[in-house]
Amino acid sequence: MSDPNRILRRAKRVDRLMGAVIRVGGLTIIAAVIGILLFIGKEALPLFLPPRVAPVAPGVLPPPQAIHLDESGKALFAWDLRRGLGAYTLPGPAARELPPGPPLPWTRVLPPDARGTALVLAADGKFYSVRPSWDKPAGENDPGQWKAEAAWSPALDPGPQPCEPLAFRKVPGSGLGGGDTLRLAGRRNGVLAWTEAPAEASGPLAWTPLPLPGAEAQAASWSADASQLFVGTSTGRLLVFDPPSGQLLREAAFSQPVSALGWVLGGTSLLVGGRGGALEAFQQVRVGDAVVLQSLRAFPPLQGEVLGLAASQRDKRFLSWSAESLAVDHLTTGRRLLSAPAQGLQGAALSPRGDLILGATAQGQLRGWTLEAPHPEVSWGTLWRPTRYEGYAEPQRTWQSTGGTDDFEPKLSLLPLLFGTLKGTFYALLFALPVAIFGALYTSQFAHPALRNLIKPTVEVMAALPSVVLGFLAGLVLAPMFERSMVQFVIVPPVALSLALLAMPLWARLPRAFRKLFGEGREALWMVPLLLGAFGAAMALAPWIERALLGGEYRLWLQSHGIPYDQRNSIVVGFAMGFAVIPIIFTISEDALSSVPRSLSSASLACGASPWQTAWRVVLPTASPGIFSAAMVGLGRAVGETMIVLMATGNTPVMEWNPFNGMRTLAANIAVEVPEAPQHGSLYRVLFLTALLLFLLTFVLNSAAELIRQRLRKRYEAL
Amino acid sequence: MSTGLRDWMRRGNGLVWLSAGVLAFAVLMIGGLVGLIAARGLGFFWPAPLVLFETPAGPVLGEVADREPARGGEPGRIQLRVGNRDLFGQDFRWYPESELRNPTLPEDALMVERSEYGVFLGRVKELRKDGLTVSTGPAALDEALERLPGARKAQAGIRAVEKGEVGRLNTALEAIRLERKALERRPDPARQPQLDAREAELRSRYADLEGRLDHLRAEAKRLTVLLEAWDGQVKEMPLPQVVRLVPSNRLGLPGKLKVYASRLWEFVSDDPRESNTEGGIFPAIFGTVMMVLLMSALGVPLGVLAALYLREYARDGWLVRAIRVAVNNLAGVPSIVFGVFGLGFFVYTLGGSLDRLFFPERLPTPTFGTGGILWASLTLALLTVPVVIVATEEALAAVPRFQREASMALGATKWQTLWNIVLPGAMPGILTGLILAMARGAGEVAPLMLTGVVKLAPSMPLDGTFPFLHLDRKFMHLGFHIYDVGFQSPNSEAAKPMVFMTTLLLLAVVVALNLAAIRIRRRLRARLGGSTF
Repeated sequence: MSDPNRILRRAKRVDRLMGAVIRVGGLTIIAAVIGILLFIGKEALPLFLPPRVAPVAPGVLPPPQAIHLDESGKALFAWDLRRGLGAYTLPGPAARELPPGPPLPWTRVLPPDARGTALVLAADGKFYSVRPSWDKPAGENDPGQWKAEAAWSPALDPGPQPCEPLAFRKVPGSGLGGGDTLRLAGRRNGVLAWTEAPAEASGPLAWTPLPLPGAEAQAASWSADASQLFVGTSTGRLLVFDPPSGQLLREAAFSQPVSALGWVLGGTSLLVGGRGGALEAFQQVRVGDAVVLQSLRAFPPLQGEVLGLAASQRDKRFLSWSAESLAVDHLTTGRRLLSAPAQGLQGAALSPRGDLILGATAQGQLRGWTLEAPHPEVSWGTLWRPTRYEGYAEPQRTWQSTGGTDDFEPKLSLLPLLFGTLKGTFYALLFALPVAIFGALYTSQFAHPALRNLIKPTVEVMAALPSVVLGFLAGLVLAPMFERSMVQFVIVPPVALSLALLAMPLWARLPRAFRKLFGEGREALWMVPLLLGAFGAAMALAPWIERALLGGEYRLWLQSHGIPYDQRNSIVVGFAMGFAVIPIIFTISEDALSSVPRSLSSASLACGASPWQTAWRVVLPTASPGIFSAAMVGLGRAVGETMIVLMATGNTPVMEWNPFNGMRTLAANIAVEVPEAPQHGSLYRVLFLTALLLFLLTFVLNSAAELIRQRLRKRYEAL
Repeated sequence: MSTGLRDWMRRGNGLVWLSAGVLAFAVLMIGGLVGLIAARGLGFFWPAPLVLFETPAGPVLGEVADREPARGGEPGRIQLRVGNRDLFGQDFRWYPESELRNPTLPEDALMVERSEYGVFLGRVKELRKDGLTVSTGPAALDEALERLPGARKAQAGIRAVEKGEVGRLNTALEAIRLERKALERRPDPARQPQLDAREAELRSRYADLEGRLDHLRAEAKRLTVLLEAWDGQVKEMPLPQVVRLVPSNRLGLPGKLKVYASRLWEFVSDDPRESNTEGGIFPAIFGTVMMVLLMSALGVPLGVLAALYLREYARDGWLVRAIRVAVNNLAGVPSIVFGVFGLGFFVYTLGGSLDRLFFPERLPTPTFGTGGILWASLTLALLTVPVVIVATEEALAAVPRFQREASMALGATKWQTLWNIVLPGAMPGILTGLILAMARGAGEVAPLMLTGVVKLAPSMPLDGTFPFLHLDRKFMHLGFHIYDVGFQSPNSEAAKPMVFMTTLLLLAVVVALNLAAIRIRRRLRARLGGSTF
């Protein structure tokens, strides 16, 4: 026998220990629950953080005319009229060796395009193009080990007349024999002219003038495939030429004399900068039968004449600069990501990734900014309001997260998804609410106890049906069945109702004793054969109705009324999802109805009211908050249902109330898109945002429902 | 209208009948759905008669799969399962009713289930050994039937070697590769030659094994059957590639029952074939069970702890009430939200860190930084914890107060009272919570799709190679199997019956669990009385 005191002490120790364990464990799990919300919010939050900008001071260069940043942001090329092409690595900048270029001094440099190809007009009056590059030994991250390379093109002779180049584009492999061709546009004696030549042309170029009455070309740019020439004039006009035919295709007005033209990634949107600092994006879109050049979006103006424009190679952000300021904007959202004053700016460059901006002043001072804006294409506006996208004449409400090409512009509007969610929920509740509430009313007020004991487990089994099972049945069984015999399913309820109306007088004539013995509390059983009969009758009637009223084939009839029919449509989803929420609504309503104090219904019956009158006028109103809360819980379930929607609709994010086509809901969208969303990308974060939205939505709905139920419980206690 | 009827209607009896009708409708639908699943699923394994039709394009042998009655101007159609995907392109074909004439049931018609290309419908023409005819016609069928079990056994032996010994060698080689990668980071000159020697030894064993396997495979290919479709096309295939020979039309009831049982057994015990449209679903069953068990082991203790804290330790105030409401509501949060959380937190954040800390040599191939059974189970544990908490709290609240007071009065500490009095009393309730959680977990698919379920897992999460329980592995799941085969499969028509059967299985598991929970709860309530609303 051990000492009782020791046993006591041990018991107390164990007690304290277990108390601590339970407290810690309990609090942990509760913290985990809150942590879920916080984590999802944390993942979505960066979408709405302002861009982070930090200035850097890379040093001094010989004052360049134009610069081009390497993809790494660690090296750059600078074009200088007096010293030619220079290569520099950062930090430093440390000058690197380059083979000599065309004779100096140069008269003019056409700033490098997105790939870094630039054109210079050298001292010998000839054109030379160059695309300098860095030779990086495999995997070498230290720019000190890189070698700069520059292969100059052969000289292009502009001919006897001097020519000031405006635009230049190399078209790979389009010439005879597969060689590259060049397209050039320039000003000769103030007249706009263009030419086309093989890259290795030796003779003087043959220029073709382009008519430009009453204005002088200030800036020009070739479209990506060099098939069209875009020209901005001193009078503020924008013109599109088809150079081979010399035809003016379209034009548009700009608010100021044009000083710079550029392209956003993808080559669809033309950026226009004005002498007064105005900044606007234009695009060619089809409106009706005609293609027009129209403004896509205007951006806040810069200070002073816009000197140049450069685009990122990753997304739709672009850099614009003047002699006094510099800005980075995003085309889709119109958000200004960076805006900085920069005195005496001459050339500037945006790194291809768009995260580093360098500007060079006329004194050769380099100024730099790092820009951290991982999700510039998403803003509250693009998520919730119609947005102008490239290639569309009107603002769109579109969800389209991925496309075939790298320069595809993701369209992440949540409106169609929210709409789809509401649509699916609407059709589901339309079906579920009446069935569940009337079913609950009958079960709680009229059904025989034996019947009730049968119904309630059945409904619990119904609640247990995994949604994937319902989705599978809806998608692979119901959908084709509905398609084949939609008319039949539509007419089942009216047929059943008329059958019931026919049957009722017969029933009322039966002896009261019989009715009492076999009818009361067992009505549902009698309704089973009636329903089966109605189903059979509907099957027989359907072809006849279809022939008589719908011209033999209901789908053609729908189509002739402008209603497309999808096999996996909202009716199928509404039915399946309604099926999923019926048990929840039923159970909660039934609980609310059957806990209405007996004294109330007894009093009503004692006053001579019939059972139905009592149920309808006394019990139902008393329990109505409970039923309302049941509907809310059902709504919450329908909003978040994933598998059924995923399997029973086509998951197309359309915005139509048409019950015969599908939709895409917030929840299904997550399941569809997450596998293709790279971690911490914009799509990933938007999906987290929708998850947060679903979380909050259902949480609020359920909390409200719970609150109502608690109130009701108190009221019952008071009665 | 008679006064009796008018009175009857005025008292609202008609409306009572209508609401009864609505309820009957709901119940009928449930019955209909479950019945449909059962009929379509269970019927699939029954050997259906092979009917030979004459069509304008020649004779066609097939199983009648579906019929569409004539409707409007369209004639009725019949869908035949004609099989022979490798010869005809499609397993199923629709024919206008009028084109199918003179149905007969040829005695020698045969359904050959193959390990590739689905079923073959036709007859056995010859049995050959080393290319020489052994027997022809009906005799060949009898002999093939006789020799099939042996051939299958040999085939199973080859597979066992492939899976077992070859698999083990591969694992060992992979371990060496990883160790070499780790050595690049921390060079160890002494270890290098050891690794070289070990790898050379393993490679030579691998070569031996390959030789043995080649011999076995060549042996297996010696015996072939020559099959003939009804349109005259012939197909020769090694006997071991035949899974089953079913001469449906000449089988009696016992024979059919035997085929049925064998197919059913294959379904629950075998691996899937032909991108999940044939064979069995054992890995999916195993994965589901494993996931549910892991989920319960991870979630239930925590849920019980939380409920104990809320009900027995926390001081009842607005905070506890708020937490209780929050926990209740968590059960209503869409499962996909949990999936997103699991993906972001468990897979990417936790898994990614684990990989960087413990498996740097395997990067960039993720180990835990990708979906796996552990993360899926944890996600579902979070999802089902509210169910456990609610059920446990309910059960704790139902333990009569006087029992606790009596225990405390006898000098027991709080923990002793909890352990000896309260918890045993609440056990059925906790068990109900566990069962409900398991049922919910077994049926959920959406969160799993984000956290580690796959359509075909090459290896099980539990097997004979060290460390036996592979928590990082992806797994198969019945629910996902339904979604995948039904909706993502290239040949979904052929897979439909399989999906029905899988659905039936999942449904049976979930409904059985729920019914068990209902029974336990009912017994509990009867014992304690009271309502829970």
